[in-house]
Amino acid sequence: MSCLEVRNLLKSFPSPDGGASLVVEVEKFSLSPEAQCAMKGESGSGKTTFLHLLAGILKPDEGEVILDGLEVTQLSESERDRLRATSIGYVFQSFNLLQGFTSLENVQLAMTFSGQSNRASHLRTDKAWAKQLLDRVGLSDRLDYYPRQLSVGQQQRVALARALANRPKLVLADEPTGNLDPQNAAAALSLLADLCRENGSSLLLVSHEDKVIDAFDRQLSWEEINRSSGATEV
Amino acid sequence: MFKSRITVIFLLAWRGLRQHAFSSFVAAFTISMAGGLFLSTWKIKEEAQKAFVNSSGGFDAVLGARGSKLQLVLNGLFHLEASPGNLTWEQYELIRDTRGVKEAYPIAVGDNYRGFRLVGTLPTLFTEHQWKEGRNYEVRQGGRIFTDNAKEALVGDFAARKLGLTVGSQFHPYHGLDFDETKRHEDLYVVVGLLEPTGTPADKVIWIPIKGIQQMEGHDPAAAQSVSAVLLSLRGAAGFQLDMRYNKRGNQATLAWPVAATLASFFERLSWFEEILSLVAFLVAFIGALIIFATLRTVMNEKKREFAILRCLGASRMVVTCVVLSQSLLLAVFGALGSLLAYGGIGFLAARLIREQTGVVMESMSIDLAYHFFLPVVLAIGLMSGLAPALQAYRSSLSDNLSPRS
Repeated sequence: MSCLEVRNLLKSFPSPDGGASLVVEVEKFSLSPEAQCAMKGESGSGKTTFLHLLAGILKPDEGEVILDGLEVTQLSESERDRLRATSIGYVFQSFNLLQGFTSLENVQLAMTFSGQSNRASHLRTDKAWAKQLLDRVGLSDRLDYYPRQLSVGQQQRVALARALANRPKLVLADEPTGNLDPQNAAAALSLLADLCRENGSSLLLVSHEDKVIDAFDRQLSWEEINRSSGATEV
Repeated sequence: MFKSRITVIFLLAWRGLRQHAFSSFVAAFTISMAGGLFLSTWKIKEEAQKAFVNSSGGFDAVLGARGSKLQLVLNGLFHLEASPGNLTWEQYELIRDTRGVKEAYPIAVGDNYRGFRLVGTLPTLFTEHQWKEGRNYEVRQGGRIFTDNAKEALVGDFAARKLGLTVGSQFHPYHGLDFDETKRHEDLYVVVGLLEPTGTPADKVIWIPIKGIQQMEGHDPAAAQSVSAVLLSLRGAAGFQLDMRYNKRGNQATLAWPVAATLASFFERLSWFEEILSLVAFLVAFIGALIIFATLRTVMNEKKREFAILRCLGASRMVVTCVVLSQSLLLAVFGALGSLLAYGGIGFLAARLIREQTGVVMESMSIDLAYHFFLPVVLAIGLMSGLAPALQAYRSSLSDNLSPRS
């Protein structure tokens, strides 16, 4: 059984001339549990839109996204919010840490909306897990640092820890090394892959950089998947 | 820290305000000023009126020359303004001996010492009269009350402190109610006692024997047998009878009775001032609400991305909306608390001013129903100011703010 399955997914946006511009047209795509896949595509080709459709941030015009047996496109907005909180980890190019919160708080916040924090018995575990994750990414001595007090590489490591905070089934990484120097980029990629493996999460990474794609054994071309008729299984 | 969803919402709101500390402070400060002004306008007049009524020195009425009752009360009991004219000694004796008059003390004014009034009266005012129920005037240890025919003075606590007078000090009175150093009388007075503070206008007066004013060197000899006013304590329905005798049937004198009603007319005269202050307070409150609105709009514009990140982490639209509303609520709460401080500060300054000008001591300003009513109003204004930005947060597109197209 696939962790993620996509069928006949279409998404278009209004174009300036009043018509519609088709950005995503994926007939079939699937990702096995615990698989790690890197997808290469040019900038502006619709990769981020595809990830947003997978995460339920956007609704498609047509088609199905099935995550762990759940039809995402049929869920209400609040159900999709909850799905993101419990089953999906997201890593952004610009890290998107909340500036008013420390490293530890950023990771804990990610757990807040999954519903676990409402159960008092899980509180201590949550904090312990957040600390454990930050320790795993080498930031155990930076728990109380605010993002502005961290280097760019350290910020991305906090973002990685945050993405794994809810032990998601699927981690989506959108150009996760775009703002990092080569040395930090290589370290972050390796860490991301290791963390997903350790937590049993599937990973779908998109990038326009060959050296990022080359770090993964399984590589795909977005141009082949988008508007292609062939099924793609990783 | 993350014990419940509500805690998280308030934490997010608080951290958001902290990130925009200056704008947040300006918004809360403006509300504080508006609220403080509003409460002060509301309460100071009421408290001042209460303080004036309580400071009438234990007298029920003032008899004086034909004229304004208010002027009589202000001159006779509060030692403000000029005397409207004089009564004869016989008029004083007549009312003193009238049935129903419990106490009658003549006073004479017309001189000062460095701006503090000299008031001539009988020594019995200080031995027999209770300025408050159960409270006689008390002379500080080492002093005594002046004797009837001597050039001696008993000085009120506030006047003594301001003038630096102690027992044994000597001074020359000056003619008139306002200090003019060219108008010095040759008479030399000696301070024989200092009054313990009473919190009434008696504290800011230099008391001397009535004959002292009447026979002061340079005064018109015709004034030697006249008094400025008579302070009265009455029994039973005597007030009605005297009102009939002096105000309705007679035309020789005016009876200001009851004192509280005369003072009420005084405060009614100040209502225009109260209205202007209320208008200013409304305007400031309106500006405060606008500032909350502008602050939250600014925060919203800068926070769109952060809210989108929260949404991406699984926060619902409602959570994000509640964060914005909580921010406006927090600003309103700080504003309301600040209002209380501003109210206290304005009240303190007003009380000091009133005390220095009139000798009337205002009790600490009460926080009563007015504030219980005021608090929800401020919170409601705060919440209403946050509605539009909250709606903006509710409607904002998650994907747009995460820059979806690449």
